[in-house]
Amino acid sequence: MTRRTRAWAAGVLALTLGLSTACGGEANNDDNNTDPAKAEFNAALTKVFNASDKTGGTMKIANAGDWDSLDPGETYYGYAWNFARLYGRSLLTWKTEPGEAGNELVPDLAEGLGEPSEGGKTWTYKIRKGVLYEDGTEVKAADVKHAVLRSTDKATFPNGPAYFEGYLNLPAGYKGPYKSKGVNTDSAIETPDDYTIVFHLKAPFGGFDYFAHMPQTMPVPAAKDTGAKYRQHVISTGPYMFEKNEQGKSFTLVRNPKWSKDTDPLRKALPDRYEVSLKVNAEDLDNRLLSGDLHLDVVGGGVQAASLSKVLPKPDVKAQADNPGSARLWYTSITPQVAPLDNIECRKAIMYAADRVGYQTAFGGEFAGGDIATTLLPPVIPGHEKFDLYPVGGDNKGDVAKAKEALTKCGQPNGFATGIAYRAERPKEKALAESLQQSLSRVGIKLTPKPFPQGDYFSQYAGNPPYVRTNKIGLAVNGWQADWNDGFGFLSQIVDSRVIRETGGSSNVSVRIPEVDQLLDKAIAETDAAKREPIWTEIDKRVMEEAVILPGVYAKSLLVRGKGLTNVFVNQAYGQYDYLSLGLQ
Amino acid sequence: MITYILRRVLAAVLLLFIVSVVTFSIFFIVPRLAGATPETLATRYVGRAATAETVKIRAESLGLYDPVVVQYGNWAKGIFAGAEYDYGSGVEQCPPPCFGYSFVTNQPVWPELKDRIPVTVSLAIGASLIWLVGGVATGVLSALRRGSVFDRATMGIALAGVSLPIFFTGLASLAIFSYWLGWTAPGGSYTDFTANPAKWAYALILPWITLAFLYAAGYARLTRAGMLDTMGEDYVRTARAKGLAERTVIVKHGLRGALTPIITIFGLDVGLLLGGAVLTEKTFSLPGVGKYAIDAIVNNDLPKVMGVTMLAAFFIVFANLVVDLLYAVVDPRVRLS
Amino acid sequence: MVIGPEPSIAGERTPLAASPAAADDEVVGEALPGGTAGGGGAPKAIQGRSLWQIAWRRLKRDKVALAGAGVVVFLIVVAVCAPLIVAAFGHPPNEFHQELISQETLVPEGAFGGMSADFPFGVEPVNGRDIFSRVVYGARISLLIAFLATLLSVLIGTTLGVVAGYFGGWIDALISRTMDVFLAFPLLVFAIALAGVIPDAAFGLAGDTLRIAMLVFIIGLFGWPYIGRIVRGQALSVREREFVDAARSLGARGPHIIFREMLPNLVAPILVYATLLIPTNILFEAALSFLGVGIRPPTATWGGMVSDAVNFYTEPHFMFWPGMAIFITVLAFNLFGDGLRDALDPKAR
Repeated sequence: MTRRTRAWAAGVLALTLGLSTACGGEANNDDNNTDPAKAEFNAALTKVFNASDKTGGTMKIANAGDWDSLDPGETYYGYAWNFARLYGRSLLTWKTEPGEAGNELVPDLAEGLGEPSEGGKTWTYKIRKGVLYEDGTEVKAADVKHAVLRSTDKATFPNGPAYFEGYLNLPAGYKGPYKSKGVNTDSAIETPDDYTIVFHLKAPFGGFDYFAHMPQTMPVPAAKDTGAKYRQHVISTGPYMFEKNEQGKSFTLVRNPKWSKDTDPLRKALPDRYEVSLKVNAEDLDNRLLSGDLHLDVVGGGVQAASLSKVLPKPDVKAQADNPGSARLWYTSITPQVAPLDNIECRKAIMYAADRVGYQTAFGGEFAGGDIATTLLPPVIPGHEKFDLYPVGGDNKGDVAKAKEALTKCGQPNGFATGIAYRAERPKEKALAESLQQSLSRVGIKLTPKPFPQGDYFSQYAGNPPYVRTNKIGLAVNGWQADWNDGFGFLSQIVDSRVIRETGGSSNVSVRIPEVDQLLDKAIAETDAAKREPIWTEIDKRVMEEAVILPGVYAKSLLVRGKGLTNVFVNQAYGQYDYLSLGLQ
Repeated sequence: MITYILRRVLAAVLLLFIVSVVTFSIFFIVPRLAGATPETLATRYVGRAATAETVKIRAESLGLYDPVVVQYGNWAKGIFAGAEYDYGSGVEQCPPPCFGYSFVTNQPVWPELKDRIPVTVSLAIGASLIWLVGGVATGVLSALRRGSVFDRATMGIALAGVSLPIFFTGLASLAIFSYWLGWTAPGGSYTDFTANPAKWAYALILPWITLAFLYAAGYARLTRAGMLDTMGEDYVRTARAKGLAERTVIVKHGLRGALTPIITIFGLDVGLLLGGAVLTEKTFSLPGVGKYAIDAIVNNDLPKVMGVTMLAAFFIVFANLVVDLLYAVVDPRVRLS
Repeated sequence: MVIGPEPSIAGERTPLAASPAAADDEVVGEALPGGTAGGGGAPKAIQGRSLWQIAWRRLKRDKVALAGAGVVVFLIVVAVCAPLIVAAFGHPPNEFHQELISQETLVPEGAFGGMSADFPFGVEPVNGRDIFSRVVYGARISLLIAFLATLLSVLIGTTLGVVAGYFGGWIDALISRTMDVFLAFPLLVFAIALAGVIPDAAFGLAGDTLRIAMLVFIIGLFGWPYIGRIVRGQALSVREREFVDAARSLGARGPHIIFREMLPNLVAPILVYATLLIPTNILFEAALSFLGVGIRPPTATWGGMVSDAVNFYTEPHFMFWPGMAIFITVLAFNLFGDGLRDALDPKAR
């Protein structure tokens, strides 16, 4: 995970341990068919809790930090994508259903999923007729085109996802609709009529539907586009629109009178009003959530460490909580570029010696941290297969004998010394570095913890190969969350050796396996999801065989269901409650 | 007198200039000495998995390719002349004082920073009133009953007070009064005075008292020592000899003499606090100038860091200036020296 | 700019003023050597052959100051012998004891933070490190940095103060203005910024050594104007004294006058204010560690321990021990410093 994720929990960071998100995982241990409205632990994990169609009420929401941007063209936080659907409609979105179904893309502004042609090089979407902006004008295909094009202007929207400019066949030197005014962009996006939009890619890409679900495809009327200031008032196409927006403090959403259920089968639009306060103290937020003063912690990253003891040991409070997993893996990169880790046996020694329970505890334990991981792909990602190439016995505390054996094979029977990098601002990563230092010292591997500022972690330190080599940073604490639950989104940035730049800046610190690169290319061009998934599994296994990544935990988070919420369920796509369906009693 | 004022004001401006140059240099020169390039600096300010091209565009738009002097010049120009900012769809005027646009959020710094000032002012004014009254009263009583049990006890507490770090007393008081007893608001529950004065006071009462306790301790010690001093002066003895009531002697002669230095220090302390009570705001999660400073630094958001540093320096320098000028009014010898 | 100590407070004989001892957080961080500091109008140049004897006699009678001195000595012994103490009574400061931690809530299983005969102060949440050992080791960092930073402040402050006071004129003006610049910096903000941009390895140093050097540099650098002002004031007055005139008329040159005639007369105030600067520096270091820009983990520091405890404010045991360690140390230095000043300045009290 990169700096985006830092921002992700922005304000929370300062005082908390909490950074993990959430999402469906293997947490559905209790599958009893009890009354759906009965409050119990994980009641909203695989089914709808407290179903109701009652409308009205004011939903009170708080955020310990702030949105990166409310502008759908720039926002890059998971919760922001979940929330943006209240005031905008992208071409596609995730199905608003609990369980596995959440991982399925369904049409939203579009009438159906994308239709590929030219072997996946061209993608066509039909747009619904009669979808209105809050000012009453109708949404046209040209507005979607404008929205996508403006998002490629990285001088104006530097923080947003960069998929479209990477894949669309834009004219050379195109700088977005503001600076390259009047440039013909039909080579990238065509709108043959008001209700059809056609995307042309540079190369075939089987997963383009995933791009089409991003808020970047939420239409923006060119006449009302105010560039970087658009975030101050986004023109709504969803059931709610901005009433007031005090940046950095609060905003309110009210019903959009022009929205109609007729064009929108997905949204229940139950509450009348949303009041969102920003930069709320994280502990205060937890307390208010538990007391019923707040309905929702919008970040959906789970409660603070200090709040665990207010939730878990108390059965009645625990019954108000859910413990979903997310598409996030906390792991440690083992870099073969630093001797003696160039020898696979030495890397294996680390795999065996690491205390996995210690890893889990460092990240917050079983509930707030997550499940012990033995693979790259988290369980919520299609293609995940459970395997463990380095079994260390039942207690998961590491296998000293096997580690020593590997060390002997490596020619370092007494161990060796290397550095471990982590982000200085993150207490969990600090705790992990210290934990590994402890467990590896059992076999004589001496780790020197090296904290680095997270802003420069990948660009100058852990992700900068020359720096890593000169300073002998054999291990780097790392983590990654996919932009969406798919092998491409999860793996491409962390196992593709071609994203590594000698000048630094890559999240892939240690994986340089040509075979994996080829497998990735093969999967990317594949338009059939069923054929793609086994390739992700294969990649996962291949990387684990090389022992260049020490998996830590599949992240989970402890969410508290606000009192009085209806239709609560965890959407696996986001690993948090589905914000489209929530209502109030 | 006019020349004296002018000289002082000029010196103040020069000071602010030096502070800005030094701060700017630290943020630009130190990372570059450590091997950072405009691109590596710009990777802090782009989305995850950004392409090399995106990073370059970002570095360009942030002006990171310009020489440091040019970057400083642009920044300084914004404060006096305002600046233009390219919003993409158009260009916007950022009126002076324009402290630039955040590298992270692209929003103008000054409006955000301005919003933080009331929080810090609320904290500083409330706490300073408490500590001024409490500290001086305790100090006077101690001085008058020098050697008594009261004197020893309060001076003992005062010494303990100046020996406690606020982040510790703050956290401890939060744990006790907010978490256990539930008497006061939890950290971070600030409400604007204009929105709800009662909630405002409720949220600030604990920070006020915690902060004031530490200062009051120092002021009590200072007042006590000052009183003991002045009460021994000839003019006080004269006043007594004239047969003035003891009360009058204490208030009119003793306290007045002892208060002058205290008011001076008070002015400076308040000036410093207005520049951001970093630890207090951090401990109580108050969204003030000091918290803003920490967040800005953590995010490497240079325009914000510059803005907040200048604001803090301004308060310090301004408080000094006021105190200086007041002194010049009170004591003519000062302007002649 | 700054109301020098002169116009504002110098007339004041109240050494208590806001001596650095009067430093609470904000004074430490935000005000520290600032105007307030000037408050300690220096003891009027004290001299006389029997000064030290008089002082010692006074000090001996001051039970409170002696107690402070006793605690200071004890703390120094603890810091120096930390490895021995920990070997005898504790566990290695960075050793994990996760078996004592609840896997559910991450806090120690036992009452009072897992306090037991084996772990007299209990263990930390999450990783179960021995709090006793960490407090003991924390003393090393705290005292080391405070002493070295004070030394640095005293060196710079004395040198520049004497030079300013002795030469006067434009040199004095330059040095005084420099002090003003330092005092105008929003100290804590600036220190955080500086500590944040220092790379991981620099100037041939790395790890704890680099961080300690950096903290000493930052804290020392911002403390010197405080000493500098007092020394300058003293030097100004000493310069006019008869014995200096006498030396000059005998043909003594600058260096001789400075080192042989003036410095010895400045030792007492320097000693007093250096002693009072130490607790300020301890608080400053703790504040920086608390803000996460001090010494890097896993090395134990008191400020860092309090900062770690923030996440577990519902279990206040974790902040209690390091917090008390800071408090007792600072208090002891303050008590001793106060006593020392009273002893060396007959006019005080």
